[in-house]
Amino acid sequence: MINLNNVNIVFSDVVIKYKDFTFKKGEITFISGPNGSGKTTLLKAIANIIDHKGEIDRNGFVTFVSQKPILFSKTIYQNIIYPLEIRKLDISNYENRIEKYVKLFELDKILHKKAKSCSSGEQMKASILRGIIFEPDVLLLDEPTTALDIKSIEELTKLLNEIKKDMTIIISSHDRLFIEELNDVLYELGDPYV
Amino acid sequence: MIQESIVEAFNLLMSFDEEIYQIIFLSLTLALLATLTALVFGVFFGILISSTTFKGKRFVKKLIFTFMGIPPVVLGLFVLLLTIGPLDPVFNLFTVQVMFFAQFLLVLPIITGNIIISSEKTQKEVLETAETLGASRMDKVKLLIVETKPFILMSMILGFSRAISEVGAVMLVGGNIRYSTRTMTTYIARSNSMGDYSKSIAMGIILLILAFVIHSILARFRGDFYD
Ligand SMILES: Nc1ncnc2c1ncn2[C@@H]1O[C@H](COP(=O)(O)OP(=O)(O)OP(=O)(O)O)[C@@H](O)[C@H]1O
Ligand SMILES: [Mg+2]
Repeated sequence: MINLNNVNIVFSDVVIKYKDFTFKKGEITFISGPNGSGKTTLLKAIANIIDHKGEIDRNGFVTFVSQKPILFSKTIYQNIIYPLEIRKLDISNYENRIEKYVKLFELDKILHKKAKSCSSGEQMKASILRGIIFEPDVLLLDEPTTALDIKSIEELTKLLNEIKKDMTIIISSHDRLFIEELNDVLYELGDPYV
Repeated sequence: MIQESIVEAFNLLMSFDEEIYQIIFLSLTLALLATLTALVFGVFFGILISSTTFKGKRFVKKLIFTFMGIPPVVLGLFVLLLTIGPLDPVFNLFTVQVMFFAQFLLVLPIITGNIIISSEKTQKEVLETAETLGASRMDKVKLLIVETKPFILMSMILGFSRAISEVGAVMLVGGNIRYSTRTMTTYIARSNSMGDYSKSIAMGIILLILAFVIHSILARFRGDFYD
């Protein structure tokens, strides 16, 4: 569960004010709105990687999958298991899950390829898997479908439905179909330049 | 003239004159050791400076960038003053040790500055991403080293080139003493001022060939460094 209280973010030329949104566990909440309306900024604030005014109550661990995939200079596989590795978890317990997800997203052929030489769709899928493999309490996805093909979007939809019951999921998106398929709650942002 | 010098270069090498080989050996080891030592400190400082925020960071960066272009002779003068001053107990003038120190100082800002310039933006993104995946401080440091790897080799090449080619610093603090502190560049400078042009061009050619060989060896590692 996440609560915003009077959150606003100040940039040099604009102040973005947010309504007091709440995001519930077990639900998928979509954030929509035109370019520059502050979707990415809100997710970054919730992930606590950007300075903000006001309060954000967070329960549990929050992870953020950015709009542009930022993979480390490692292979796709090493990227996916990174969160498990740093938590010193036993990878063998996760092997079945990893294998299933990797098949789902058709990453099996490039699993041991250097991530930075993969296509942007492939990188995005790896980045999403890296974000969900360790089952964070809060999952923030910033426009996850923009680089994905139709089949991958379908698989992502199924996957999110499967894992959502124990998570708070917040997704920013312009993708009407994707939103219709998944949304429990939809928040629309307006133009911050007023 | 050039033709003569090429013959002379060949003769110099083939004469197996011990002095020539000593000079070449000293130049190479000096430049290599100075670069490797500066690499250790430079990578450390570079990562530290670019991945943290602190008061006066902009100033520190400007200072480093300024020292990247300092004329070696000015740096040599500075080390000379240090050596006869506060560092008197540590170094003696006209020794190999103080030459090493001068070249180290010359190369350090080049490596530090290059690491900062080349990795600052990626580091911010990588650190943020690592943060949201739950990385500890130590995990982040490890990641930064991995992400900085491609830039390490590049800064090493630049640093080595600077060290092997400079005259001013080694001349001032080393004194160009025969059989002791004479390097390839000070040999060239000396032969030149004595009017022995073909000797200096010959040594210049040897210097270029050696630099070419070393960069070729380094280039072989590039594949490992770049993804
Ligand atoms: N670092 C920054 N400095 C200055 N202004 C910024 C910064 N980051 C974002 N902004 C401004 O804040 C506003 C919201 O940006 P944001 O990236 O959150 O939009 P968005 O809704 O994610 O847009 P898009 O649909 O294009 O991804 C924009 O007007 C942008 O110019
Ligand atoms: Mg955005």
